[in-house]
Amino acid sequence: MSKKYETETPSYTMTTVMEEAARCLLCHDAPCSQACPAHTDPGKFIRSVRFRNVKGAAETIRENNALGAICARVCPTEKYCELACSRTGIDSPIDIGGIQRYVTDFEQQAKMDILKKGDSNGKTIAIVGSGPAGLQTATTMLERGYAVDIYEKSEKAGGYLTYGIPEYRLPQDIVDFEIKRIVNLGADIHYNVTVGKDITMDDLKANHDAVVVAVGASEAKSLSIFAGNDYVESAVDFLARVKDAKGDITDVPQNAVVIGGGDVAMDVATTLKRLDAKNVTDVAYEEFDEFRASKKELEGTRKAGVTIVDGYVPSAVDDNVVTFKHRKIDSELKIKADKIILAIGQQINADNLGINIERGVVPYVGYKTEDPKVYITGDIAKGDQTVVWAVRKGKKVADLVDQTLLGGTK
Amino acid sequence: MIDKDLSVDFMGVHFENPFLLSSSPVGNCYDMCAKAFDEGWGGVVFKTIGPKHFKIDEVSPRFDELTKEGTPFVGFKNMEQIAEHPLEENLHDLKKLKENYPDKIVVASIMGTNEEDWEELAQLVTEAKADMIEMNLSCPQMTSHEMGSDVGTNPELVKKYCAAVKRGSDLPMMAKMTPNITDMVPAAKASMDGGADGIATINTVKSISNIDLDKKVALPIVNGKSSISGFSGKAVKPIALRFIQQLRTAAGMELLPISGIGGIETWQDAAEFILLGATTLQVTTSVMQYGYRIVEDMKNGLMHYMEEQHVDHLSDLIGLATKNIVPAEDLDRDYKVYPKIDWDKCIGCGRCYISCFDGAHQAITWDEEKRRPSVNINRCVGCQLCNLVCPVGAITTGEKVMKPGRQGKAEDKQVDSSRLTHF
Repeated sequence: MSKKYETETPSYTMTTVMEEAARCLLCHDAPCSQACPAHTDPGKFIRSVRFRNVKGAAETIRENNALGAICARVCPTEKYCELACSRTGIDSPIDIGGIQRYVTDFEQQAKMDILKKGDSNGKTIAIVGSGPAGLQTATTMLERGYAVDIYEKSEKAGGYLTYGIPEYRLPQDIVDFEIKRIVNLGADIHYNVTVGKDITMDDLKANHDAVVVAVGASEAKSLSIFAGNDYVESAVDFLARVKDAKGDITDVPQNAVVIGGGDVAMDVATTLKRLDAKNVTDVAYEEFDEFRASKKELEGTRKAGVTIVDGYVPSAVDDNVVTFKHRKIDSELKIKADKIILAIGQQINADNLGINIERGVVPYVGYKTEDPKVYITGDIAKGDQTVVWAVRKGKKVADLVDQTLLGGTK
Repeated sequence: MIDKDLSVDFMGVHFENPFLLSSSPVGNCYDMCAKAFDEGWGGVVFKTIGPKHFKIDEVSPRFDELTKEGTPFVGFKNMEQIAEHPLEENLHDLKKLKENYPDKIVVASIMGTNEEDWEELAQLVTEAKADMIEMNLSCPQMTSHEMGSDVGTNPELVKKYCAAVKRGSDLPMMAKMTPNITDMVPAAKASMDGGADGIATINTVKSISNIDLDKKVALPIVNGKSSISGFSGKAVKPIALRFIQQLRTAAGMELLPISGIGGIETWQDAAEFILLGATTLQVTTSVMQYGYRIVEDMKNGLMHYMEEQHVDHLSDLIGLATKNIVPAEDLDRDYKVYPKIDWDKCIGCGRCYISCFDGAHQAITWDEEKRRPSVNINRCVGCQLCNLVCPVGAITTGEKVMKPGRQGKAEDKQVDSSRLTHF
């Protein structure tokens, strides 16, 4: 594997994590703890670290979040807990993600087994898709005594965690370990099974008390001007290909243009630089003050040496020359590239699942569908499309299913 | 760069500055002391020299540290005894130091097991041209009960051995006292009766710093076991200051020459010892952690402090705080001072609210919506705990009021401290 592609930033040591934890003001009614979409309680786990109870900190994180080690690495904390942090009133927020990473790494090294399977209640749940929302749903259901079968269309579990987020940001070992935890808890993952093709929704409904659809938004969006262009590849395809090959791909372009301004675009552009692409230009529709990518991602991308141009939209393409026009001013930009990667968003592909999709989104407000046995969660349900939101939605749908089937055991 | 007179006269000897290495691993040989002199120390107390018949045999490992959050060396535990080099070599080093550094002060620390030892050692170090003698009556980790703190807690022995040293030498002599005693005054008085010219204190505090929770052995682990031994560093400073205050306020000891020791690592620590009556200052633990170079900032910082205090000579500051420490029964108990909260500075962490409720008098109310504390003066006793825990200095001393039925003017009460407004 390419060193540059795989290398994660160094983690804290016992000494440095204590230094960071000592910066924490240990607030009363801690604002950080109210700011996590997944209800992580940093106020509590940082206090545990501060008082040298790292195992207690690990329990606080893990019991709330089946993907604690993943969230520690990929969560845009600047928008949630770190945005709320009182320390900002003095200088800069506590590095909550970094402390969480230290704690979950410790949990792994200490071979802690925190999640506990609930006593069997005789009910069984099918989950379609093993991305973050499916995994969290499975965990919560298993903790409450349900049997869980997960149907995954690919050969590996994890969805975008496995096939999307680059190795340097989220090592596959970490993803695999989190999934192993959930499998050990009792999740039965059926690989290479596409629901609606290899097995029908009716089969699932017949064999389970409820079906939770968590297929995500895995299909890349495109623009008509790029149709049929051989220089064009979608961001999701590119990232999946690189991750699968562990960074060892043969067609690294000399000059690449990435179109898009979200975290996915940043991942693609940074990955290209880490694979030694010479010139990488990212062109984004948004201007910097409205950028969608997290500050951390944007900063990392700039540091990697990517040229980022904001406020331009592609207006024409001639072979491998893309013309962009500025949204507001009279300005044009032409870039010739050996590779054009589109990171302009994803949409749902839910064929034959009996899920109603209107213009790429589901019309349902919550997690219920017209079919009383079928629920949705993850990116196809309303709300943000981040890992931390997937965890939130996974817990919510599990609550709802439990409530509906057994009146809620907890 | 600022230049002020840091020189002091102590027991008749002139020091270019008050900073000495204390008798310990940091002054164990010629090369170490020479380097310390080169880096600016005014003197050294050479590591304690013992009698020829007492064999030193040290353990490994021999140190431990107490930490807090990310802070190392809050306190330091040490099991080393006295100098392990042969007597002749130590005497040779003393002589060479004095030859090569005639303006620096070389203090010979000695320790015997009986009167003959003490007298002979005093004689030998005098012949080696030491400027001064320090009697080590206080090391808490000696392998002989005829040595160290077991002697220093026995006034009779202290007096006898001081007299023996005085028979062997006419050099100025200070007796180094142990803090492992309820009242240091009887031991200090006994040493003066025996002929001591001054006191050095404190030596280390008997301690167990940490216990290995898996092995169930205290640290450091010496082949499966450990021992009680001396504790030093920042954590012992308050104990040292207390003993110095008690010595300087005992009847007849108001002008007692003192060499202050115990957790000194900054100029502020140094100034505190001086203000309580120490003339010279001895340092080890912070040197072990950071090296001899720390003397640069202690000297320079003290000079700036002198400038701020408008004094030309360091000696003008000696003992200025002594009179302001009085028995608890003599303190003014007629008033209280409320905290004042600056909401512009407040960052809404709520630490004052928690501490006041859980550790004081439930006198701070908390606005959950605005995340803002306010003081309920009906409950507030004026303890100022909130002031101490506030991480941003948003809480200061505010309105002063007389307690009901008491005489006097509240506004005349002096309660402000720059230490409480250090943000």
